[in-house]
Amino acid sequence: MAGLSFDNYQRNQYICAKGHAQPKATSTGTTIVGCKFNGGVVIAADTRATAGNIVADKNCEKLHRLAPRIWCAGAGTAADTEMVTQLIALNLELHGMWNDRQPRVITALTMLKQHLFKYQGHLGAYLICAGVDPTGAHLMSVQAHGSTDIGEYQSLGSGSLAAMAVLETKWKPNMTRDEAVLLCAEAIESGIWNDLGSGSNVDVCVMEVGKDAELLRNYLTPNVRAPKERSYKFPRGTTAILRESIREIVDVEETVIEFNKPEAMEVDA
Amino acid sequence: MDIILGVRLQDCTLVATSKAATRGISVLKANDDKTRILNTHNLLAYTGEAGDTVQFAEYIQANIQLYLMRENDTELSPKATALFVRNQLATSLRSRKPYQVNVLIGGYDTKTDVPALSWIDYLGTHVELPYAAHGYAAFYCSSLFDRHYRKDMDLEAGLDLLRMCVKELEMRMPIDFKGVYVKVVGKDGVRAIEL
Amino acid sequence: MSDPSSINGGCAVAMVGKDCIAIACDLRLGNQSLSLANNFEKVFPFGDKTFLGLTGLASDVLTLKEDFRLKHNLYKLREEREIEPETLANLVSSSLYERRFGPYFVGPIVAGLHSKTNKPFICGFDLIGCIDFAKDFIVSGTASDQLYGMCESLYEPDLEPEDLFETISQALLNAVDRDALSGWGAVVYIVTKDKVVKRVLRTRQD
Repeated sequence: MAGLSFDNYQRNQYICAKGHAQPKATSTGTTIVGCKFNGGVVIAADTRATAGNIVADKNCEKLHRLAPRIWCAGAGTAADTEMVTQLIALNLELHGMWNDRQPRVITALTMLKQHLFKYQGHLGAYLICAGVDPTGAHLMSVQAHGSTDIGEYQSLGSGSLAAMAVLETKWKPNMTRDEAVLLCAEAIESGIWNDLGSGSNVDVCVMEVGKDAELLRNYLTPNVRAPKERSYKFPRGTTAILRESIREIVDVEETVIEFNKPEAMEVDA
Repeated sequence: MDIILGVRLQDCTLVATSKAATRGISVLKANDDKTRILNTHNLLAYTGEAGDTVQFAEYIQANIQLYLMRENDTELSPKATALFVRNQLATSLRSRKPYQVNVLIGGYDTKTDVPALSWIDYLGTHVELPYAAHGYAAFYCSSLFDRHYRKDMDLEAGLDLLRMCVKELEMRMPIDFKGVYVKVVGKDGVRAIEL
Repeated sequence: MSDPSSINGGCAVAMVGKDCIAIACDLRLGNQSLSLANNFEKVFPFGDKTFLGLTGLASDVLTLKEDFRLKHNLYKLREEREIEPETLANLVSSSLYERRFGPYFVGPIVAGLHSKTNKPFICGFDLIGCIDFAKDFIVSGTASDQLYGMCESLYEPDLEPEDLFETISQALLNAVDRDALSGWGAVVYIVTKDKVVKRVLRTRQD
């Protein structure tokens, strides 16, 4: 019961051996970055999800919450980043309750890397993990095979090169919160414009020591759809119908009506 | 290149299967019956990988018979039979070596007095149809069925339709399939009929 | 052309309107180029106002339809209430991800109204259960590329049920006419807070 079921695996090998190709899962051809600043850390992501060369979702969420003050940006196979993140978030919550402590970033990272290593890279999750805990602010990244990096600034995903170019030129030590947010947003924007797998908006999450994490959903929206020039509403009756069936939904309400209710009994003398 | 055809008529279902058993370029047998009677009102016709076919058909037959014994002679309806077969094929597809068998199930529901025909392939695709065929025969017969089929056809009209199909197949198919066996599944069960 | 999810063909689409949703699918079932049936519905009800569309390999569509019917019945027995669309979405997602390394070849979509608040909800999934939450429309199946194009241009927010019906129908009809593996009839469900209307559309038969 527990864990993943592999029993369709052989069937699919069989189907594929008959000349059929495996269909594509949604992947987040993505730009994600993270950057530390004085007294905290910030991560950011674009919001495009792709299936092959089709944009599957124009405003998806790639920033996942592992704990109230530990957040994670995901690139790679969309389902894997989502599910791995949910699993670790759950275990982190239990871990925090068991030990009666706030979860640490290094704990989250260790749980992630051990899980991903176990699956030998078959779970395509590439994550930038950041947050604040009693030991300060931290920024780390995990690769699908389970290796991890620690650094002052990080970038991952298909747009990581474009983003890193910005980070490498504009990053400086001891930045303020606002400088770091701006830098990350700019790095993501570089991915949005220069990487085909990334696009749409910029999501940002700021985690400051001693404060609640702040998610800035759609912090930048540089790709707002222009309003349509005209309406494409069809006159009613355009579509020809062969048959129609209607199901009315009715609420059944129950009221209890009592007849001949006896007088309340006298209890005390 | 085996041929199996099925037609649902007004009060019965017709199933026709080719008599030839072939392997590569050789015709090994000219009186091969590619059907198995599952219970009184259900007939299974099959084509596919040699070996798998009979093995699978008889496995299904045995299980339907077993059900009959266990459930005090309660017969599985054509729909239930078809869903059982589909489930077996869909499960088999997830095993190490799946059955490569495509089947038609001709049936007659004695509760509602309605004949039924199910098309099921080795992937576990199941659909109830008025007329059906597997393999290359489908390409030749579908258009004939589309043109001439009427849902209120009686047995004689149905046999005429099958004769038309067989004539076309004899003309178009590259090898002699040695004619067909025709079975009728109706109110009184399964019986063979000469075309 | 010959991957498992395009052997049988077929597609589905869902849209959000003003206090209503619509979900539609074509009716074709084929075997590669040979059309077998024109009555293969790909949208299934789960409770009064929640629907699940399943496209892809027909065998898996049938298997999953039954699997979710089972899980839905168990849910009703345990909770003594209908399943909410959001809950069904998470059920679908986790059921598909359970088969991460041996997936079912399907592209499910969920559409429905919340049983109490009647808030519209739609979402789509990839074959391993990654949820695509959308505010406007969701497409799936062999004509999904065409549907993306149609919906992107025809859709507008806050359509009344009758206008939403025309929009989703025209989007579907014109998309399947550009897909050889889809078509052969279509059905549309329009779901409002007190009524579910099912309409079978007149379509091309080629």
